Amino acid sequence: MKLKLQLLIPLILSLIKGYSQSIEQTKKAVNLTSQSFLERTEFKIGYSGNIFWNNGLNFGAEYLLKETIKTKNRRGSQRTNSHQFLLNGNLGFTTNFSTSTDTGIFTNYGVTWRRTNKKGKQFSIEFNPLGYYRSFLPETYKVSGDEIKKVFLPGRGYYAPSISVGIGKQRKDKKITGRYFNINFMLRTPYNAGALPAFNFQYGYRFNFKKKHKDAKIN
Amino acid sequence: MQKLINKYSKAVVLIIVSWVSFSCSKDDNISNLNETLFVRHKNADMPAYIHGNASEKVFLVILHGGPGGFGLVYRNSTIKSKIEKEYAVVYFDQRGSGAAQGNYSRDGINIDIMAEDVLALAKVIKHKYGDDSRLFLMGHSWGGTLGPATLLKDQSPFLGWINVAGSHNTKGLYQEYIANFKRVASEQIDLGNDIEYWNNVVDFVNSIAPEYNNINDMYDLNSEAFTAQEKLKESGVVNKDADLNDKAIFKYTPLTLIWNTLNTQSILDENLFENIDFTDKLSEITIPSLVLWGKHDMVVPIRFAQESYDNLGSTEKELVIFEKSAHGPMFTEPDLFADKVIEFINENK
Repeated sequence: MKLKLQLLIPLILSLIKGYSQSIEQTKKAVNLTSQSFLERTEFKIGYSGNIFWNNGLNFGAEYLLKETIKTKNRRGSQRTNSHQFLLNGNLGFTTNFSTSTDTGIFTNYGVTWRRTNKKGKQFSIEFNPLGYYRSFLPETYKVSGDEIKKVFLPGRGYYAPSISVGIGKQRKDKKITGRYFNINFMLRTPYNAGALPAFNFQYGYRFNFKKKHKDAKIN
Repeated sequence: MQKLINKYSKAVVLIIVSWVSFSCSKDDNISNLNETLFVRHKNADMPAYIHGNASEKVFLVILHGGPGGFGLVYRNSTIKSKIEKEYAVVYFDQRGSGAAQGNYSRDGINIDIMAEDVLALAKVIKHKYGDDSRLFLMGHSWGGTLGPATLLKDQSPFLGWINVAGSHNTKGLYQEYIANFKRVASEQIDLGNDIEYWNNVVDFVNSIAPEYNNINDMYDLNSEAFTAQEKLKESGVVNKDADLNDKAIFKYTPLTLIWNTLNTQSILDENLFENIDFTDKLSEITIPSLVLWGKHDMVVPIRFAQESYDNLGSTEKELVIFEKSAHGPMFTEPDLFADKVIEFINENK
């Protein structure tokens, strides 16, 4: 076993060395100062839920904070990827129609890192540490001793951070600038005597209100 | 193209409108109630799903098993098609269970507070449907622990108590598991049923401590009890489940259910298996009582059926043993189960 490792480690190291020698990488920051707020902002709307139980809608906005173009030359071929950091905000609604016991609205804010390759395929990680979930319950009665009162707007508020990992496709120079599919993990806390995890799918479209450049391709 | 878009957009709008209409429709007819209301008590919001015929204002409140189970699992075809036709049935998600939510510490969930939650539910039902509402309490498994805890606090809101394989003595479960496994294994080996399995069961119970000293052994015994029941079903000793409510799973998000169950059990279980025994206090329960038990129950063994019946202080009480059932007679002998429950309510309403 030890002998195998002694052989394997130098082999892996030499492969990595050889591989890295074959890559030349350049990084170039994109100057965003000339772009207007609307040009740097994309909006999104999509489905959010887990199909069989909870279903809802999610609206959001993403503001481009930083963009870097990375070009790699690998064995003669050139690959160009853009790496973006975006400020991100969402507002969503979810419900289980069958019993209405898990209806709520949520909002969350954070940052998104997104990589886009030259074919427009995207991979993104969205981290929203600032999140709030407000549940809405049907008819609710509060019991304190012998006193029973109907509760106005029953429900509970939770701190609800979330993280999403997803893929997407960019559509350059179109009003609908892309589509995305995320797997979202949200935590609601304090929930009962702890916290409640929840997984959801998100599928939707991004769009913007950019003014089209004159030389933009007409689609 | 434009025509196509118009055609499909109308269809989509129609589907959405129908979906929203049907999903939001509620039948508030008193003879066919279909309501969900929440009880807010001591920092918890707990749903009660109320279905069935409330024309006589008779409500059967069901306490689910677990701890950490969920109420609507009992809304199977028997309770739905037979009992709900006669009376309203209240399926209650207890604190920390099902779709119940709230904000409390680990000290905020224990059997005392959960018993108070049940009494709070009774108050809400009487507040909403009138003081002349007549309530019956049914507890299955862990619900049969919570039921006596509730009735020992206050039995006045209820006209009757139905104990379905309920463990009024969770402290005594460990030793009874060992004795019951040995007894059933011996019977099944004599009958020639699954001899290898039952020999392994005997080896297993001989390998663990004879008295409760850690919760993991208890969990192993409990898990083996469910496996043993499946073996009894395969051998034809116990009926197969006739009408499990498979659709109930769509009423709850599975992760929420599992998460709540694990959390609640991690808080409650040790106290249950180390300290809870209501046997000597059952004599204080004097309302009419019905004890329903599967003869081949491995999860809460049948010795507790007789113990429960003997110790209840009720002058009107009945013990019914289901010959072809294990821990869930409502699933394995559904017609007899519904008949016995309706008969009991008819006699005592």
